[in-house]
Amino acid sequence: MSHPKKIVILGHFGVGKTSLIRQFVDSQFSEDYLVTVGVHVKKKSVTIDNNEITLVIWDIEGNTSIDKARKSYLLGSHGFIYVFDLTRPETYANLKDQLHYLKEEYANVPVVVLGNKADQFGTTVSKEYFSTKEFEDCLFTSALTGENVDNAFVKLTKKIIE
Amino acid sequence: MLQQEEEKLQLLRDLLLVDDREVASAVNEKLEEIASTIETQAKLSEKINPIIEARLKEFVTQIPASLGPVITQTLKTQIQFSKDEVVEALYPILGKMIKRYIANEIAKLSESINQKVNNTFSMASFKRKMKSKFSGVKESEIMLSELDAPKINEVFAIQKGSGILLGNYSLSSKVDKDMVSGMLTAIKSFVEDAFEGGAQNLESIEYELYSIHIQNFHTYYIAVVISGSYTRAFESDLENSLFKVSEKLSSKINTLSRSEVDSILESLFKSWQSN
Repeated sequence: MSHPKKIVILGHFGVGKTSLIRQFVDSQFSEDYLVTVGVHVKKKSVTIDNNEITLVIWDIEGNTSIDKARKSYLLGSHGFIYVFDLTRPETYANLKDQLHYLKEEYANVPVVVLGNKADQFGTTVSKEYFSTKEFEDCLFTSALTGENVDNAFVKLTKKIIE
Repeated sequence: MLQQEEEKLQLLRDLLLVDDREVASAVNEKLEEIASTIETQAKLSEKINPIIEARLKEFVTQIPASLGPVITQTLKTQIQFSKDEVVEALYPILGKMIKRYIANEIAKLSESINQKVNNTFSMASFKRKMKSKFSGVKESEIMLSELDAPKINEVFAIQKGSGILLGNYSLSSKVDKDMVSGMLTAIKSFVEDAFEGGAQNLESIEYELYSIHIQNFHTYYIAVVISGSYTRAFESDLENSLFKVSEKLSSKINTLSRSEVDSILESLFKSWQSN
């Protein structure tokens, strides 16, 4: 059995990082917003090509920029998930810089970018707006409905074991 | 003629008054029934009890919302302004609880001492006597220290930074060990970052009856959960044992499988159990 893989979830405050993990690990969603203080560690296994891979997911507190996050929490990561909120432009305004920072500081660590709150498409958010090149690699997820949540973690795990 | 008129008049009276009389009679009957209900307790209860019960139920369900804040506020105010009275009231209760707890602990201690004294001719007793003779420490003190001897409960080998569990041995399986090692690493990272101690490492965590000894190596660390009285002498012995374990682990920590690390830690654990 291989050692578990450490995944760290990054992004601004209130983008739904904890909710995505809860949906992925416990298949639950709660409307209550609880600020993550410090870090929460969760675990779940995924099966890819008949191999069971254990993911240890670090849910760290939100930060407007990754360089403000505690560096020691990111040490030894096998993969990152960067989450932004489709309904709040300030959470993806610096997306390009953030991804560049990850590429510079953690060159070999794969990243998956998620635009969360996709259940708001057609109401408060226009899907067309996110069809530009800047968002072409993004997965649009909804922690509320569970849309694409499992896919996001599987996508990252595949990148990790490649 | 007069009789005829009288008959007509009677007919007219009958026509005009018959309904009134029926109504009056019905009202009278109802009045008597109500009077009887009010005057008879059983009958009155039968009518009123369901209404009162429904109201009471409604009242009970509303207590937390309607009276809760008022009661809490009243209690807070009362406690704030009558601290001495509250202490006076609680003192005997707490005193009794503490007294009972101490009595119980002393009884347990006395039982353990008796058991040890009764085994005067055992090997352990002989070892204790020898230890006392050579160390100069009284046998009774050695006996007391044995009663709360430190005990290893769990051992974790954890990769530095990532917090990935490399191996573990534990007597319990209550909490997921991968999550424990992640959280332990997060706490360690936080402390090491927060106090800006340079390249210093967190070496122990204490919580009530347990201590976590942390032995840091280059790419990993070993965390040992200990219960009982964690003495300096024990810490020193433990450190020596962990250095020996690291000789087996360090050179091949990245190639060993989890079960291989588990078995190395198990042997450490068992050697400590047998001591």
